[in-house]
Amino acid sequence: MRLPDSVTGSFLVVLGTAAAYGGWLLPPVPGQPVGPNVFPLVIGIGLALCGLAIVFGIGHTFEDAEELIPLEDGQLAAAPPPQGKLYGLRALLPPALLLFYVVAADRLGFIITAAIMVYVTSTALGAKWKLALPLAALSPFAIHLIFGKLLRVPLPAGLLPTPW
Amino acid sequence: MLKTLIEAFALISTWEVIIAMFAASVYGLVIGSLPGLSATMATALLVPVTFYLSPIAAIATIVAASSMAIFSGDIPGALLRIPGTPASAAYADEAYAMTRKGQAELALGAGVWFSAVGGIAGVLSLMILAPPLAEIALSFSTFEYFWLALLGLMCATLVARSSPVKAIAGMFLGLLVSCVGIENPGGVPRFTFGLTDLFGGIEPIPALVGVFAVAQVMRAMLTPEPPPLPRRKFGSIMAGQWKLTKKYHWQMTRGNIVGIIIGVLPGAGADMAAWVSYAMSKRFSKEPEKFGTGHVEGLVEAGASNNASIASGWVPSLLFGIPGDTIAAIAIGVLYMKGLNPGPTLFTEKASSMYAIYLMFIIANILMIPLGIAMIRVAAYILLAPRSAIMPIIMLCCAVGSFAIGNNMFGIVTVAAFGVIGYVMEANGYPVAAMVLGIVMGTMVEQAFVTSLIKSDGSILPFFERPVAAILAAMAIGALLWPVLVWAWRKVKPVRTGVAATSR
Repeated sequence: MRLPDSVTGSFLVVLGTAAAYGGWLLPPVPGQPVGPNVFPLVIGIGLALCGLAIVFGIGHTFEDAEELIPLEDGQLAAAPPPQGKLYGLRALLPPALLLFYVVAADRLGFIITAAIMVYVTSTALGAKWKLALPLAALSPFAIHLIFGKLLRVPLPAGLLPTPW
Repeated sequence: MLKTLIEAFALISTWEVIIAMFAASVYGLVIGSLPGLSATMATALLVPVTFYLSPIAAIATIVAASSMAIFSGDIPGALLRIPGTPASAAYADEAYAMTRKGQAELALGAGVWFSAVGGIAGVLSLMILAPPLAEIALSFSTFEYFWLALLGLMCATLVARSSPVKAIAGMFLGLLVSCVGIENPGGVPRFTFGLTDLFGGIEPIPALVGVFAVAQVMRAMLTPEPPPLPRRKFGSIMAGQWKLTKKYHWQMTRGNIVGIIIGVLPGAGADMAAWVSYAMSKRFSKEPEKFGTGHVEGLVEAGASNNASIASGWVPSLLFGIPGDTIAAIAIGVLYMKGLNPGPTLFTEKASSMYAIYLMFIIANILMIPLGIAMIRVAAYILLAPRSAIMPIIMLCCAVGSFAIGNNMFGIVTVAAFGVIGYVMEANGYPVAAMVLGIVMGTMVEQAFVTSLIKSDGSILPFFERPVAAILAAMAIGALLWPVLVWAWRKVKPVRTGVAATSR
């Protein structure tokens, strides 16, 4: 997902301009020169300027030394993973599963949806079915016990209501 | 004073608080010790649970979990050379070198002991700094608040270990996110695109869970699994710590002070504190040649520093609602949720709650010693859990937790969206912390800005008229221009690039 700076910078220019324009269209507070329109205008312009600076590579020199510092995951530089054309798309699996939950939870119920999510995530991370299957069977009940029973979050029952 | 202290004791000596604190401690220790799960993520995932607790118990869980997680990140750092949290990354090599020399007990013991000492130093700073600052802050008008907030945002971009331009862009993105909704000076729907779900604005907490937890699961999809921990028997863990304290008391104090200062600076948290303190320790050491070969000195200083920053990060959070680091940013969300709105009056009106927070920090740091020792002994078993078993549970917690905040599915969509945003930003060198700060502070910045503009009747002059405002303005503008100056300086005088920093 490493995009060239010109791409991310241009995106910010477009986003900033759109925000500034969108802010410009909003009405001010009656009787006042300013209102909800000022702040998006300022931010939009700032964002667009930053985008321009990034496109032209300003501030890029600061980044060179930073490459050595590990990301949030704190992992060591490990062997390069097997690269396929679609390999990078695996990263989109977690948000896709969350959206699946949004769509399916009300119909299928929490337990079934959660089990599918757990099984898919676990398998995608390299678990054998011996681990993924029991995990998918048990963890939704555990989470339901904590959130649904103890904290009283109204989780959808759907097709398979919990015994409690 | 004494009366408030007794009240505070009464507040925290309920079963709910005690159980919440203990459970959160264990939770923080476990999450912190698992590589790839950071202290911020541990805190973010706790928020939905705090929703259902009393205010003090809710804060207790955050205090306990964050302090413990920062320490327990040292465990895989020392045993595997993989830091459990970014805050331990600075000295993971050093600690691992000690383990290879057969001094694992000393390294981990130093981690526990100096973390606890640092944490308590941080609380003391909170107790000493906050009340007088609150006195000053009471006389602040919107002009001062505006500059202060701007200064806070700028600090966050200056200390980010990335291009300052990208950090500023990240901050603007966060501010833009905070613009969404009808909670603006005019009360008109802004950037809602006709979606009723967006009328209430984008909740900061699901956004934070997205950028810290979902983005992490996304990264895990593409990175190989870390190796399991070799099982080993430990000797006495606390042996020799008192000797170290006496020998390195100056380093420890310096670590505490640096940690406190970095914690107070908005946006800069425990990881920054550890890096700075480790570098400082090496610079001023009498035996710098020993660094990197398993020398405990840097560990003492950096360990004392990163935990000190956790508590002092609460100073600007409680006073101004400006988070000292990402964990404090989450804490602010919880404070608002629980009716403890940050501000100087908190220290007069809710003094007993403030004392309760201090006390909980102290208790958490004392509790860290026995629990930390226990954790070190069982770490080998916990670290046996494969990533493919932990990440799915994290995913479920993200989904259920973000649903629980508003009991609507839109929270989950927010989490998913911010997971993608956080992932893409991190991969392209845009610091996520700057965006988080923007999201959390956006409404406050806008309010101060627009109110000031209305008061000044369109004139710029009142922004600089009051002395404190003028000083803050000078600092904020200086911070804004700093990267430009550095950039210009480098253009004029090209420096050697390709720095061969310590290989990691």
